[in-house]
Amino acid sequence: MEPSDSVGDLNCTMEAVTLSGGPAPDSSTGQKDTSPAVMLRIKQQMSNQCFEIAVQLNAGKSKRSCSTPEAERELPDYVDELERVKTNHFNSTLTLHRMQMWHAIGEKLKQNDLEAEALKAVSDRCMALCSHIKELQKESRDLQEGITEIQKKRLEMKRLTHEKMKEIEEQMCKKEHPDTEKYRAALEKGQANLEKYKKMTIMTQNVLRGILLACKVNWLDDPVLRDIAMTLEEFPVSD
Amino acid sequence: MSLLKPFSKLPGLNTANILLVEGEEQFQQSLADALVEETAFTVNVRLAKSLPLPLENEESRPRIDLVVFIINLTSELSFQSAEASLKYLDPGYFLGKVCFMVTNARNASVPTEQLDAVRKLAASLHCPLLFAEDQTPDGVTNAAERLMTILKVAAGLVPMATSLYLSSLTRCTVPLDIDQPSFE
Repeated sequence: MEPSDSVGDLNCTMEAVTLSGGPAPDSSTGQKDTSPAVMLRIKQQMSNQCFEIAVQLNAGKSKRSCSTPEAERELPDYVDELERVKTNHFNSTLTLHRMQMWHAIGEKLKQNDLEAEALKAVSDRCMALCSHIKELQKESRDLQEGITEIQKKRLEMKRLTHEKMKEIEEQMCKKEHPDTEKYRAALEKGQANLEKYKKMTIMTQNVLRGILLACKVNWLDDPVLRDIAMTLEEFPVSD
Repeated sequence: MSLLKPFSKLPGLNTANILLVEGEEQFQQSLADALVEETAFTVNVRLAKSLPLPLENEESRPRIDLVVFIINLTSELSFQSAEASLKYLDPGYFLGKVCFMVTNARNASVPTEQLDAVRKLAASLHCPLLFAEDQTPDGVTNAAERLMTILKVAAGLVPMATSLYLSSLTRCTVPLDIDQPSFE
């Protein structure tokens, strides 16, 4: 297919342009400052474009015939893979930059001039602050642990109190029960007896009253009889 | 058969070329004005009503990094002309160098089928779908900013990102319930 040919030629020309370094002599727009930053940017751009063209070429080469649904299904996996690789690369770049920075700082410190003094002062302050931070963190951790201990104890106390209260309640319920049982039985028996004797007394009193009335005895004069008759009046006449 | 090919010319140094295709030529001009305000690199904006592009400037036309189809949802013609123009684009463009921009999506008179149709088109072509508000200058600036992000990647000005990679992140997807009636 002819696009791939033209793309192939393009690739060669592109490489030539990139290697030659400076900006190509195209229509100048006036902002043609050839500062290193701009040159680097242009170089980046060109390498990016080269990469894209190379991808196109490679895509044309491997003519693997697969259907669209199959490709759709595989796409997310490839995208994930791409993401993973990009993240790894980014992390590695970060690590590399960190290492470079530390190396530069180390070199600077070795030089022992004015800036190195400033750097040393700053790093000393950093160390002091860091150790202070560590102390404070340890303190706060200890306090936190103390608080947790106390809370645990309080919880334990609460639990014990609860248990004791429950036990007390149980005991109180249990104690009433057997006593009231016996009480009730005895109480009923006593009451039944009382009723029986009351009836007997009332009956005897009625009989005596009847005898006194029937005999027409003058009980007022005789003190013994009067006493007996007085007691008769106290009890109500049962029906 | 004059297909617009993505890789048939050399890319411009420190420049980005964008082609705005709009059937009605309303939004193009203001968007173009907002786009050329970028100063870090040169932005060449080319305007077209539809594809195929006229053969006269075939030689002088630079390589187009990004083709943007502007569709006005209130007119059926706009959508149809965009669809017709798609045929004149080389398939190499659809790997991240094509973008759809939709205006007037908030208009109440727009039937939801229009938006769904545009969505399905963008999703089937794996292209990003942007919504723009063309009546206010703020809206135009915002749309230009978003286009600029995609343009920078398409022109290779963003290190470690190519338009194919970006397209896998920004492609329009169609929600699964698009054929269900919506509760309006």
